[in-house]
Amino acid sequence: MPQYVMVIDRGKCVGCQSCTVACRVHNDLPVSVIYNPVVTNGVTGLFPHVHMTHVPLLCMHCRNTPCVDACPTKASQQREDGIVWVDQDMCVGCKACIMSCPYGARSSHDGVAWKCTFCKERVDAGEKPYCVNTCHQKARSFGDLDDPASEVAQLVGAKGGQWLLGELNTQPGVYYIN
Amino acid sequence: MAVKHHDDNWGWMLAADFFFAGMGAAAVAAAGVLTFAAPGLSSPLVGAVGAVGVGIGALLLILELGKPLRAWRVFTNPKAILTFGAWNMTLTAGLGFVLASFAFPIFPWAGVAILEKLVAGLCVLCGLIVAAYPGVLLARHKARPFWHGPGLIPLFLLSSLATGLALHLLCNAALPAPNQALVQPLAVGTALLLLLQAVLWVAYVYVKRSTGTEHEVAAAERWAKGDLAPGFGLFLAGGMVLPGLLVGLSAPALQVGGALLALGGGALMRLWVIKGGENRTFLPGEQLFRSRLPIGDEAFIRAGK
Repeated sequence: MPQYVMVIDRGKCVGCQSCTVACRVHNDLPVSVIYNPVVTNGVTGLFPHVHMTHVPLLCMHCRNTPCVDACPTKASQQREDGIVWVDQDMCVGCKACIMSCPYGARSSHDGVAWKCTFCKERVDAGEKPYCVNTCHQKARSFGDLDDPASEVAQLVGAKGGQWLLGELNTQPGVYYIN
Repeated sequence: MAVKHHDDNWGWMLAADFFFAGMGAAAVAAAGVLTFAAPGLSSPLVGAVGAVGVGIGALLLILELGKPLRAWRVFTNPKAILTFGAWNMTLTAGLGFVLASFAFPIFPWAGVAILEKLVAGLCVLCGLIVAAYPGVLLARHKARPFWHGPGLIPLFLLSSLATGLALHLLCNAALPAPNQALVQPLAVGTALLLLLQAVLWVAYVYVKRSTGTEHEVAAAERWAKGDLAPGFGLFLAGGMVLPGLLVGLSAPALQVGGALLALGGGALMRLWVIKGGENRTFLPGEQLFRSRLPIGDEAFIRAGK
């Protein structure tokens, strides 16, 4: 069984929000729901040594999932390939998953929880998520971490890969490299 | 089309649920304990009023759901703590009514002492679980720095017990227990719980603020000097210390006033704890990004309507 992860190169991201827009348009998201914002940290430092970083955020598809553990209805689920998703027909809108997610990756709309699914229908069809396809800077890579030949395995192997809020032991499936 | 980018958080109805359920469950548990001590020590009202409290809490929990008509699904995942809590609330409400029914001879089981003690034992067990449950639920949230950690568990348990005993005093004022021997010790116990709570709350905020993580310090700062500070002071002084003194030291008439203040303090405390959970483990730049999103009342959105 593959273990799908995303690798995001912060050094390549220019904060253009193309991924944000592509996700919203292709997934036909409600106006109030954003699956993958790109947040900007900075400017920091003193001229001429100033610095600004852009951090694309999304559901981290954690291997140790606080959201799935919190769900009282089993609507929040994790597939064997690591993708976390919500069966909205089973969701009661208790917001337990929203409150338990350290990354703010879930939203409530129309009484149920919404979240990034790594575009699982596309992944099942052998394609990549819309945000990965759209990124003109090639800052996002997606694939099977267990396949040594995959781009994501090689990137993580070569550059390490950091987790956001790794101290919380959520073991995200999204790695950040510089 | 609605445009709403507020951060999603639990609202006041969950705080009210925690209040009614905690108070009611502790009252039911205390009624169970008194049943073991001697017959007639608690007001015949207590079991039923406590059970109604738990029921109101459950109702508010359902109304807080985005899809209330699917509420039955909350009972379906035995691994989730919310499911555990839902089952215990249901059991406590039912057991409270059954325990209260033993005071009324019209029920055929009213004289069966062994059955009454069995129900009382279950009331104690389930009642204490519900009384402590909100603290356990919130303490598990790694994403909410003000809640995370075991500190909220004793605070919620103490508050539930104090408000539950205060409910006993109020019920006793409305319909006195046949045996008044334990009413004054109960009042002193309520006062001690209230005062202990106030001390522990100050310590909790102090420890979070002085030794917590970066996120915990930011969350605790709201309680010490920020927007939550006035309410924090109010429930400490007006909802714990003052009612503690009134209930513990004064005449029965003032005890009722103290008990009512204790209930108000318990409700405000829970509302403030829920508001304290608005602080998440925000990432650098995230709050700025979210603060710039429209929430629906901006001029450019109104202009398009």
